Amino acid sequence: MDLALTESQEMLRASARTFVEREAPTHTLVALQKQESSLVPDLWRKAVDAGWPGILISTEYGGSESTLTDAAVLFEELGRGPVPGPFFSSGVLGALAILEAGSEAQRKAILPAVARGETVLAVAIMDPSTSWGPQAVTLRPQRVGDRYRLDGIKLFVSDATAATHLIVAARTGDGPADVSLLLVDARAPGVRARRLPGFLSWQDEVRFDGVEVPAAALLGGRDNQGWAALERALARALPVLCSYMVGGCQAVYEMSVKHSQQRVQFGVPIGRFQRVQDHVIRLVNHLDAARWTTAEALWKLDTGRAATDAVHMAKAVTSEGYLEACNAAHEVHAGQGSLMEYGLVAHTQMSRTLFAHLGDPRWHKRRMADALAW
Amino acid sequence: MDFEVTYTEAQQSFRREVRAWLEANVPPGITRTPVDDADSLKRYQELRAFGRKLGAKGWLYPRAPKAYAGGGLDVDSTIILEEEVDRFGLALPPYYDSGGKLGSATIQVWGTEEQKQAFLPPIYRGDVRTWQLLTEPGAGSDLAGVTTAAIRDGDEYVINGQKIFVGSDHGADRIWMIACTNPGGARHENLSWFMIDANLPGITVQPMELMGTGGEGGTDPVQKNTVFFDSVRVPAFTLVGGENNGWKAASTHLELEHGAGGRIGRHRVWDRLLRYCQETKRDGMPLTQHPDTRDLLADIYIKTEVQRLFGLRNFWLTYAKRPRSYEGPQLSYYRKMTGLWMTGAILEAVGPAALTTDATWGSPEGFLELQQRNGIIAVHPGGTADVQRVSMSRRIGIGRVAREAAGTVH
Repeated sequence: MDLALTESQEMLRASARTFVEREAPTHTLVALQKQESSLVPDLWRKAVDAGWPGILISTEYGGSESTLTDAAVLFEELGRGPVPGPFFSSGVLGALAILEAGSEAQRKAILPAVARGETVLAVAIMDPSTSWGPQAVTLRPQRVGDRYRLDGIKLFVSDATAATHLIVAARTGDGPADVSLLLVDARAPGVRARRLPGFLSWQDEVRFDGVEVPAAALLGGRDNQGWAALERALARALPVLCSYMVGGCQAVYEMSVKHSQQRVQFGVPIGRFQRVQDHVIRLVNHLDAARWTTAEALWKLDTGRAATDAVHMAKAVTSEGYLEACNAAHEVHAGQGSLMEYGLVAHTQMSRTLFAHLGDPRWHKRRMADALAW
Repeated sequence: MDFEVTYTEAQQSFRREVRAWLEANVPPGITRTPVDDADSLKRYQELRAFGRKLGAKGWLYPRAPKAYAGGGLDVDSTIILEEEVDRFGLALPPYYDSGGKLGSATIQVWGTEEQKQAFLPPIYRGDVRTWQLLTEPGAGSDLAGVTTAAIRDGDEYVINGQKIFVGSDHGADRIWMIACTNPGGARHENLSWFMIDANLPGITVQPMELMGTGGEGGTDPVQKNTVFFDSVRVPAFTLVGGENNGWKAASTHLELEHGAGGRIGRHRVWDRLLRYCQETKRDGMPLTQHPDTRDLLADIYIKTEVQRLFGLRNFWLTYAKRPRSYEGPQLSYYRKMTGLWMTGAILEAVGPAALTTDATWGSPEGFLELQQRNGIIAVHPGGTADVQRVSMSRRIGIGRVAREAAGTVH
């Protein structure tokens, strides 16, 4: 047993932290909040130079084929920002979906460009019902000769406004899991992505209006294989997303400790008040629950162990934890925390965005119970 | 990262040796619920005899130094032993020995060589069972306010006072206690620790009637007592860690009591709860298949998993000799509050059957009923949940005193 990071992971962490501090300081992140696209070209180019979009892509397709734990180290640092951008959508979930669902030819055609950051993927799963699971995928393409024709809407799609290509979950049969994945050019005529306004971070509406998609865009070349492939991709991708949220928890924890030490009321630092301490303790308990459930899930995956229950647990615990950590941080900070320029709000908004993203905590807890075969 | 202890061939062979030995030596029926007081005493004696057998092999306190009759084993072998003992529903030691566990650790750090030679081997061999006596009627969370006095008189100290909520059933051989050696002296500078004989003239033990005892480290003490000291004379040699230095020495004791050591065992209530819900049918189907119960079980399970992971992390921090901050009291706080929360969650998941010990209508051996009581009581011993939070805050660096490092044993 050794719960420490390896030396090379420590180096990755240090370089990622330096990168984030230099390229995405709080004032930059706050300024980005209103952008239509999560992709910042300069930042993205530098991240590509560092090899980040290809971190999980196999070397044969031009990536660095790192372990999930390595990727998690990087994403924890990004989460501390929280640094926006299609790092997860394209480099993790998108890339893994192509790896799991794509044919050899499709992988070869797509993944090297993803690793180079030229192709940017977003994964469009949720339909306007906003329900989650294979049965909730209702967007049904029409087969017209050797093409599909797409008419409909996908909702709460992360980073669609940044994407060059969309991996679209579509219903191709009447069985509950008869879902296929189509790779759609995001700039094709009839595709329109729009960032949804409000208290959420780069979740988009994508409209398909008579979009023509060649049959060759069907990932894997066979109908109804999409959900199973997506689940395999999610099983590996979710703990990396969890690490991003762990980084967020860590950042709001550090903010809250510092504020408790520096803010003086009634003549003493407010950290002396047990009521304030209670908020910090609630926060650190959520942080550590998120950190260790995530770390164990990553370890199980990286070592080839059965991990389904651990992955679902980590997503449930981490989504709840990030949201609660932000709540506690706001209680510590009071008015200060609500200032956009301070940086807490970016986390609060991100914690809400990721709470139900790719399945809400209750859904994941139920899948966990199923996986444990109670 | 590696969450699993991996075993060499030598370690696997050690596991086989341990397992075979336990199978041959664990007395049958040792985890039974006693039918009456006589049976309870008989079971306690069986546990002590089994403890001495473990002690003779160095397996009662496997991590303790061999020079003092401990096992001198490494962490991995200790894990193997704990896992194997856990298979029999037992812990190390297999009986309530809080004073032995925490007192011996303090003596390792703060005792003189002569004291180590005198006090440690009987604990590690299983020859003595030791209670810890801290709490007093006027000093609970405010441990520094103890008033039980130990006044120097020649080569002896004379102890007068009262301790409360301490010990277990079936008495003790030794007592590990904190007392005031300088009444009227400055707070935190007037306390000392003693390791004394429990059966001296002037010591009176009076059992208390309580709703529960809280369960401690897998060995439920079953009963708590008031202990009176009436001019009890003890040799000066029994004072450990220097006269009036007791508050500093307490940091070692309390750090360990607050969970810094960590643990790696399974959550026993959870294992039994799941089995109960799988085997108990309501409306024609197992409780586990009722959606609402299933959701509650998922919430319960997750908390036990987080608790397991905190324990595993602390265990690793301890044995890898990593710096620690708030993690000890965090585990303690989380365990306590999870237990309290679980009383409600289990009651909701299982219904009123959780409240009865009735052989027909309750859970097997009333294990759920016991949790209903212990989950509430366990919030308090070894530092209340609130005290754990005070402790965490200080370590985090927002409390009254900046970080304090505790002396400890690895």
